Amino acid sequence: MIFHFRGRIKGARESKNRGGSEPNFSCTVGRAVAALSLVLFGLALRLPLASAQALDPGALLKPATDTWPTYNGDYSGRRFSTLDQINAGNIHSLTLAWVFRTHSTTIKSTPLEVNGILYFSVPDNVWAVDARYGRTIWHYERKSEGDHIGHRGLAMYRNWLYFTTPDAHLVCLDAKDGTVRWIVELADPKLAYFSTMAPLVVRDHVIVGVSGDVTDVPGFLESIDPETGKIQWRWNTEPEPGQPGSETWPKDSDAILHGGGMTWMTGTYDPDLNLLYWGTGNPNPVLAGEGRPGDNLYTCSIVALNPDTGKLAWYFQPSPHDVHDWDAVETSVLFDAEFKGKPRKLLAQASRNGFFFVLDRTNGEHLVTSEFIEQTWAKGVDSRGRPIAKPEATPSPDGALVEPGSDGSTNWMAPSFNPQTGLFYVNARRLFSIYYNTVTGKAEGWGGRDRNLWANSTLRALDYRTGKIVWNRELGDGESISGILTTAGHLLFSSDNSGNLLALDPATGKTLWHLNAGERMDASPMTYELDGQQYLIFAVQDILYAFALPPTG
Amino acid sequence: MAKDDLVVVRRLVQSLALWIAIIFIVATANSAARPQQSDTPDPAIERGHKEFQQACGFCHGPDATGARGPDLVRSPLVAHDVKGDLIGEVIRHGRPDKGMPAMPLTDAQVSDLAAFLHSRATLALRSNGLPREYPTEKLLTGNADAGKAFFNGAGGCNQCHSPTGDLDKVASKYSPLELEAHMLYPGGQHRTAVVTLPSGEQIKGPLVHADDFMVSLRDTSGWYRSFSRDGVKVELQDPLTAHRELLGKLTQADVHNLFAYLETLK
Repeated sequence: MIFHFRGRIKGARESKNRGGSEPNFSCTVGRAVAALSLVLFGLALRLPLASAQALDPGALLKPATDTWPTYNGDYSGRRFSTLDQINAGNIHSLTLAWVFRTHSTTIKSTPLEVNGILYFSVPDNVWAVDARYGRTIWHYERKSEGDHIGHRGLAMYRNWLYFTTPDAHLVCLDAKDGTVRWIVELADPKLAYFSTMAPLVVRDHVIVGVSGDVTDVPGFLESIDPETGKIQWRWNTEPEPGQPGSETWPKDSDAILHGGGMTWMTGTYDPDLNLLYWGTGNPNPVLAGEGRPGDNLYTCSIVALNPDTGKLAWYFQPSPHDVHDWDAVETSVLFDAEFKGKPRKLLAQASRNGFFFVLDRTNGEHLVTSEFIEQTWAKGVDSRGRPIAKPEATPSPDGALVEPGSDGSTNWMAPSFNPQTGLFYVNARRLFSIYYNTVTGKAEGWGGRDRNLWANSTLRALDYRTGKIVWNRELGDGESISGILTTAGHLLFSSDNSGNLLALDPATGKTLWHLNAGERMDASPMTYELDGQQYLIFAVQDILYAFALPPTG
Repeated sequence: MAKDDLVVVRRLVQSLALWIAIIFIVATANSAARPQQSDTPDPAIERGHKEFQQACGFCHGPDATGARGPDLVRSPLVAHDVKGDLIGEVIRHGRPDKGMPAMPLTDAQVSDLAAFLHSRATLALRSNGLPREYPTEKLLTGNADAGKAFFNGAGGCNQCHSPTGDLDKVASKYSPLELEAHMLYPGGQHRTAVVTLPSGEQIKGPLVHADDFMVSLRDTSGWYRSFSRDGVKVELQDPLTAHRELLGKLTQADVHNLFAYLETLK
């Protein structure tokens, strides 16, 4: 049964579960310890599991090694697994466990894995697949209008899955059989809103963002009730006139009402601070900024929000007054580490504009800004750690040659932070483009376009304390959109632009294993353990490859 | 295209030429994949535009992007309208609360107005593509003499290219936007691989593929050959290296001066 409804729940909900377990950032956690702690944790909370296959949102605070329950695997966005059965010593014997083919468009999503079932998506489609044997459990399809550029994955709450659509709807599915529980509209698809992101479940909130910048529509982030589909709160990228941030828009026009700033990637969350960290996209009109002088808050920003109220705690803007489509939606990775001799709660983002930022995530204090790859658009960094744009890098009628192009020095593909090495990893691109402002009257929509000239890709390891590049591994010509996974087995997994799946030494970048999978991976790898066996999943075009060590005995 | 490449291309066997053509088509298709504006004149849109300027332009601006009244290009109502069904309602009944009077327009006039407003919204939607007919004068902001000096001097372009050789009449071969892009980076696969075996024997030919693990080429007899990179020494000769190095060094003035110079080669 499908029914549509929208409504607001007035008044903010109070946090019901403050002071939950801290994300575990220690180097290695034995599987037995992790399993035991899950049991103890479950007993302590008396998990009201409806069935053996359900996912209690409390378990998201400390994911067990046999689950990958959110888009990034855990709230921190580190994409670091504590599993070490597959490790640098035995990676050479890695073998294919199974292959699953969707016969669909390219898989860009990261599967969830909960209780032996993988859940993943492409636009309009969700699959539940047996994580041990690679067999279909169910397939859900809902054809829709709208942009089908890609889909990042799902969120899970108890028995329910949450799936965003090209026509900007949120679908709640029964994880057991893929039947629809309810569908709500997030935004008006006629205004070219769409959604590709994997929602994030925080306690009883399903946090959902939207995409779309071909029309000048405002961005927002919503919290949805996981049971009813009703809105709990909405945070608007553009502040109300008169509110803080509104002074960064012109007063004498409607620019702030049409300012863009889409929330199209999954954010991260710190349970101790009870703060969500979300990236926002480019302002509109996209390449023609002359009608919106000012910084254009909170577009191209990292914002810290209270997940119970949607209230802004702090913000940092990697690209003030962006005119190059450099969304700041790349994963804000959370880790606790030493900085200048003191333990700090950090947030790091390798941003689409070519700069690496490290912030104190308790209050947004800026700590590091560095170039993680060559760029030609900024002439320096201001006192607040923000790059200062060169005027001549602004898109112009006669074309402005700029590195990076609008696709960015990196993009949505997952970075990783590895606590064993203390290094931050990002797939980066050299990308030159010539940007044209084609506006003849009032700028609307994009107001221009850039034309890509040459690109190549490289996987880089950064020292989070300085942003300095520790090692660099070329991935070949073209724009990589392969994500990264690191594991306690002293391994880093990704793919090059020639279709080779890679396992590298995270300390040095040396190749330890590779396999020509036929096409480039346009997704991010993930891993889980079942029945004592560690599996690695790579999505290559419309194929999921599952790898494991050979059976013993 | 550099002189060296032309020599190489002439030597290619037919199958390889076909292969390069495929690469070129794919590369061109990629760059053309972005939406292009089309200027198909529609009489209804023309009539609607005139009607709009007379009846609506005073408040909504002559191009519908707003003045005293709201911008209709971004209007949700226009986005939801189908052939005037919603727009007609507003026109006929007005919005008295917002100071908009009712207007007794005919169905045909409403239909034309709707066609015009939808065309305006479509133009905004498609502003993320480059127009096919981009005005050359917009690109001609540089100084051709300075561009020629750069070509023969600091740019080092004349080391591979000649205005009477490979670039003869180049401005007639490409649209201005295409010329600017090709000038900066011609694209395509032009690399030559030189593989040295442990025995010292060298095999040289157009590169087919290279990654960290293998390299493949067409040898002088036209046959495909591949090698593990563990066992051989590989040199990749790429005439586009100079283009890539230049990309990071060019000022905007260099780009526009060079373009102005190449535009003279007709």
